[in-house]
Amino acid sequence: MSRPRALENIRVVDFSWVRAGPWATRWLGAFGAEIIKIEWPENERGRLPSTTTPQNLEVNLNTSGNFNDTNVNKKSLSLNVRSAKGLEIVKRLIAVSDIVIENFSSRVLQKWGLGYRELCEIKPDIVYVSMSGYGHTGRHHHYTTFGPVAQAVSGLTYTSGLPDKPPAGWGWSYMDDTGGMYGAMCALTGLYHRNMTGQGQHIDLSQMVASVPLNGPALLDFTVNGRGSRRPGYPPGNRAHWPGTPLVNNYRGPTVAPHNAYRTHPGEYNDWCVIVCHTDEEWQRLVQVMGAPSWASSPKFATAIGRLQHQEELDEHVETWSMTFGKYELTERCQAAGVRALPVQSAEDRVKHDPQLRHREMYLEMEHPALGRHKVQNAPFKLSETPASNHLPSPLIGQHTKEIVEGLLGYSHEEFRAGFADGTFWPTKRARFPYMEEMLQ
Amino acid sequence: MSDDPPLPGPLAGLRILELANETGQFCGKLLGDLGADVVKIEPPGGEPNRRIGPFLDDIPHPERSLSFWYYNTSKRGITLNPETADGHQLFGRLAATSDVILETFRPGVLASLGLDYESLSAKNPRLIMCALTPFGQTGPWRDYASSDLLHMAAGGEMASSGYDGADAPNAPPIAPGGGNAWHMGCHFAYVAIMAALIYRTVAGQGQYIDASIHEACALTTEAAIANYIYRGEVLRRQTGRHHASGPTPRTQFRAKDGAYVCALVAGRLNPKYVRDLAELLDTNGMAGDLKDPKYQDPAVIAANTSHIIDDLVANFIASLPAEEVYHAAQERGFTWGAVRTPEALLDDPHLHDRGFWKEVEHPEFGRSFIYPGEAAIYNSSPWRISRRAPLIGEHNTEILCDELGLSRAELSVLAENRVI
Repeated sequence: MSRPRALENIRVVDFSWVRAGPWATRWLGAFGAEIIKIEWPENERGRLPSTTTPQNLEVNLNTSGNFNDTNVNKKSLSLNVRSAKGLEIVKRLIAVSDIVIENFSSRVLQKWGLGYRELCEIKPDIVYVSMSGYGHTGRHHHYTTFGPVAQAVSGLTYTSGLPDKPPAGWGWSYMDDTGGMYGAMCALTGLYHRNMTGQGQHIDLSQMVASVPLNGPALLDFTVNGRGSRRPGYPPGNRAHWPGTPLVNNYRGPTVAPHNAYRTHPGEYNDWCVIVCHTDEEWQRLVQVMGAPSWASSPKFATAIGRLQHQEELDEHVETWSMTFGKYELTERCQAAGVRALPVQSAEDRVKHDPQLRHREMYLEMEHPALGRHKVQNAPFKLSETPASNHLPSPLIGQHTKEIVEGLLGYSHEEFRAGFADGTFWPTKRARFPYMEEMLQ
Repeated sequence: MSDDPPLPGPLAGLRILELANETGQFCGKLLGDLGADVVKIEPPGGEPNRRIGPFLDDIPHPERSLSFWYYNTSKRGITLNPETADGHQLFGRLAATSDVILETFRPGVLASLGLDYESLSAKNPRLIMCALTPFGQTGPWRDYASSDLLHMAAGGEMASSGYDGADAPNAPPIAPGGGNAWHMGCHFAYVAIMAALIYRTVAGQGQYIDASIHEACALTTEAAIANYIYRGEVLRRQTGRHHASGPTPRTQFRAKDGAYVCALVAGRLNPKYVRDLAELLDTNGMAGDLKDPKYQDPAVIAANTSHIIDDLVANFIASLPAEEVYHAAQERGFTWGAVRTPEALLDDPHLHDRGFWKEVEHPEFGRSFIYPGEAAIYNSSPWRISRRAPLIGEHNTEILCDELGLSRAELSVLAENRVI
């Protein structure tokens, strides 16, 4: 018997593209909402250009691996919303939906005649989540972002790196992932509020603005204490504190040492383990794990302040020892003794070697009609009654157009065929995929 | 600003019990800032992370931790030791009238106290309980110790972040700024709790949620997993830009004032982009040869990518302060940004237009302080900080006496017995 779903009977009109918006609706879909992704082949940059198509496949609109992982649990309606007919169809869809979500720049939906006021005329209790770079409100609403730009402008990039070096920043679009999470959070919060009050609303989310609160303690250190982040020893790499600089908290928990990444055997690119000791007791446990070497009994390492002051020497000693073990063995030895340690893990490590993620079934295989069978990322939470699940592979572009247009919206098959002939459902000059020909029969 | 009474937030009417340390307190803040009545339950004497700095005026004290302040806005606070018989009973009574329990104890701890979901939901079937822990309730790492840095290592964040060899030879992978492992776990926990709450509006029934911070972090590295699964690629770290399977052109340039600018140019260089770029660079007389018609040929652009990026763009940015480059570029449609310090945001007029910064009163100090506000503007049920973090046991009387009906005399006895 299939389990109930948390978002059963909830329908989402999903105009979102690239990464942040699709990452948001992926989670609504995992909870059973019907996600209808409105797409047009010329402009879903999440599909093309693709750098994640398997080497043995042709790069086309349906073979991006990353698109597949980002868009599981959705249906695809290919529709030219910029045509009068397309707009009419999308309005009929909105009238039978609960949520509209998009991550265009700030005035796009208004220009289409689908601003919040018009959406309310179509569906009075609609929950409308706009996920633009700078939001719909504020003088820079017309500015645009990608993840790295939102991270730079908001202060997130600056707080990652070594002292006296350029910012290392985040090696990916953290704010596409996290902006997507805020999109999902806003949609669910608005939906809960609607269920309780009968009232919908417009939620004006900004990727750049959502980044700022992620630096909360650093911001309060400035607004309360006047301490800015252009200071010696900040950001402190992986350390809690950089030796030889004023002893202040750098917003990553207690100011302690050891607190760093250490090389492990055999010293390849991702052979690192992080080790952190929060207390004297944890430090003494680490000393035992290291076999109580004589250097570790020096009084200069006996106290928290001493370990911070002599951190360079401390880290050198720890690394000399850590180099003698593989990162997983080192982790097991430390953790068995109650010492905080975990390996730096690449994607390969997480998918192939991480025993915890394997136990929790983080990556389960799923069949995709164009890509074949591959692992897909699962949810990081287990709900006892309404578990999230990956129940549909990502849609082929336009795969569900007929089902939605004829089945849900009640257009006739002749009207459906006419929409292909006049360019409403697919560009007339673009080659159609075989499954489209089947739909047209 | 209008003088109308403030609208309730979207989660108004919900009662949340939060038994959360540094790993889960941000989830409680989100719920509270969005209107829920979040009751933070601390051990007698206060949560240990009240000892995390920085502190107000650098004077260490459990009521002066800025980290605790930030992550505990919009909550009420009581002290309670559920391991005592009285505390156990009081917790049971609070749980019976609550909608959500958010807890971050090590797996098995609440069950050993008889406060597991089965026991609590027997008296309150609508109860939702979210256990947010480093690795979840099962598995070989279940009982491992962790920290923010440890999660950034195992979750894959560090493997993607760091330096080009030329910028910092032999640099380790770098964990981005502190606290984000907790943020990642809390964002997903919030999503799970909301899904359960929505299901409850339909089905009338609560449920148990086992949420894992490690899994949340492992999910938050964009396409790194897909690159491996579909192409077998393991990505390399690069200064201030995306991980990649092979070297990509730099995107971070030093401006005249020493600050950096993030300018995404590579991969976008088509004839129109180059025309626009020439105009942008020309505003400061730095277009060089870029206005030459030869650059309307994609082949010429491709052959001169390094010249365009490493000479022309780099020199243009070096000729102006970072903020000026940022605004000049954005006004012309370039998705570029200044790499700002967090505190630079205090002067951002866009944030002021959005009413982002909030003045939060701390009456015990006779002062108020500026806090960062909300990620999104809700037009009919605002997201907003309603109060500063609770003092230790600040609402013991209000909640235990006024709401649960204990007498003041009983409260005193509970205090003497270290129950509260």
